[in-house]
Amino acid sequence: MAMCTVYTAHSLNSSCSISTPTKTQLGFHQKQVFFYSTVKKTSRRGSSNSSEITCSAESKTVVIGLAADSGCGKSTFMRRLTSVFGGAAEPPKGGNPDSNTLISDMTTVICLDDYHSLDRTGRKEKGVTALDPKANNFDLMYEQVKALKEGIAVEKPIYNHVTGLLDPPELIKPPKILVIEGLHPMFDPRVRELLDFSIYLDISNEVKFAWKIQRDMAERGHSLESIKASIEARKPDFDAYIDPQKQYADAVIEVLPTQLIPDDNEGKVLRVRLIMKEGVKFFSPVYLFDEGSTISWIPCGRKLTCSYPGIKFFYGPETYYGHEVSVLEMDGQFDRLDELIYVESHLSNLSTKFYGEVTQQMLKHADFPGSNNGTGLFQTIIGLKIRDLFEQIVASKAAAPLEATKA
Amino acid sequence: MASFLALKCRGRKIGGLSIKAMAVSKFKGTQMREKHLTEMIEKKVQEAQQVCEGDQTSDECKVAWDEVEEVSQAKADLRRKLEKQDPLESFCQDNPETDECRIYED
Repeated sequence: MAMCTVYTAHSLNSSCSISTPTKTQLGFHQKQVFFYSTVKKTSRRGSSNSSEITCSAESKTVVIGLAADSGCGKSTFMRRLTSVFGGAAEPPKGGNPDSNTLISDMTTVICLDDYHSLDRTGRKEKGVTALDPKANNFDLMYEQVKALKEGIAVEKPIYNHVTGLLDPPELIKPPKILVIEGLHPMFDPRVRELLDFSIYLDISNEVKFAWKIQRDMAERGHSLESIKASIEARKPDFDAYIDPQKQYADAVIEVLPTQLIPDDNEGKVLRVRLIMKEGVKFFSPVYLFDEGSTISWIPCGRKLTCSYPGIKFFYGPETYYGHEVSVLEMDGQFDRLDELIYVESHLSNLSTKFYGEVTQQMLKHADFPGSNNGTGLFQTIIGLKIRDLFEQIVASKAAAPLEATKA
Repeated sequence: MASFLALKCRGRKIGGLSIKAMAVSKFKGTQMREKHLTEMIEKKVQEAQQVCEGDQTSDECKVAWDEVEEVSQAKADLRRKLEKQDPLESFCQDNPETDECRIYED
């Protein structure tokens, strides 16, 4: 039996706040039988009556934060993550076609650019970039993420990247898993507190340059110089406001140029480090062979033939910004399926549900960027870890005694 | 670079970095967004180059390049969405009569 706390969201203003549990305004997707008592309460917003029912955590949302510089909700990481949970994430149907939000069965991905307090013109006037905290409304971000986490739908603003304007809000119903993606998911300490897990995607300058060349070179107006100038001009704000969030992340995916090819500057072959914080609740770091030890592993040899430049793994404990971490590192590329299976079979604590699940997920999205290197591999593994974390949270809350209704 | 792109583009043969042949917009609204973003990129790059001539460390300079980044990413996102289907597909199913939803004909 589930018992739920329902607060009328100010924006919903429904006359009947809790009669039908399946009413989608309240964000509940299953029919639930529950007992409730009506409590007279004067709320800040002046309504004198609200019904209150204490909630079991089944309707509580798990919140994941992802810090990345590459735009919102369209990143490969998001697509891999939502795929682990099943289904593809799509923009909300029937709403603003320029919405940044993605919705699948289990997950909703929100773009934090939607919390810009200044639109493109406003930022120009004030002389601040989008990276600057001054351009973002952290109070609103905190309020709304908190509300969603508690099972309350919100009317979230939309930042339109095409026009550079703030569009009218869209309704976001609380999902099972809420992912907040953007430049500042871990910037505000109150928002940080709400995150059940956080990831920082740390792309080195050389790789960033190579990726942006691939992205922009076909565009009229761009040249190597303009791409370089754009990265350099944004770097001071990036280093001041975005980069420091690394220290708060439960997992950092660091993308660097390979060490296998001397002087490789094409960013083709990558060295990727998965830095996992120790002691995070419900998160057990992946390891190679012997947990807590230090290992250097080249899988290519007699049993496995790899093509140039091969694959090299490293695993070991380290300290990262004062925290104990475990680092799993992959340098090189997968060229064949059997290389991937071989590697998967030697990793432990993957949180897979069956042998070969990592490989299967990678194959499912073989056309995604990074499918042949550590970025795809570690993004997939983190996706499985998040699934595991989610299931553990749900299980732990179901086991907890039901809270008494508030008098 | 070529093998990476081949993997990315599902075996379609492409030379260099050109991906113009990838996907075509179906609705007028999408075609207009594409055109707008393309023009914005050109315009914003020029603006940034001019603004930064004076002082490369000025606020105006970094804001100008930040705008370039924003529109470049927006264009890339649109291109990527187009690979699957026109992003206005579902909107236009519900609103076929709007100007944005006129079928774009070459």
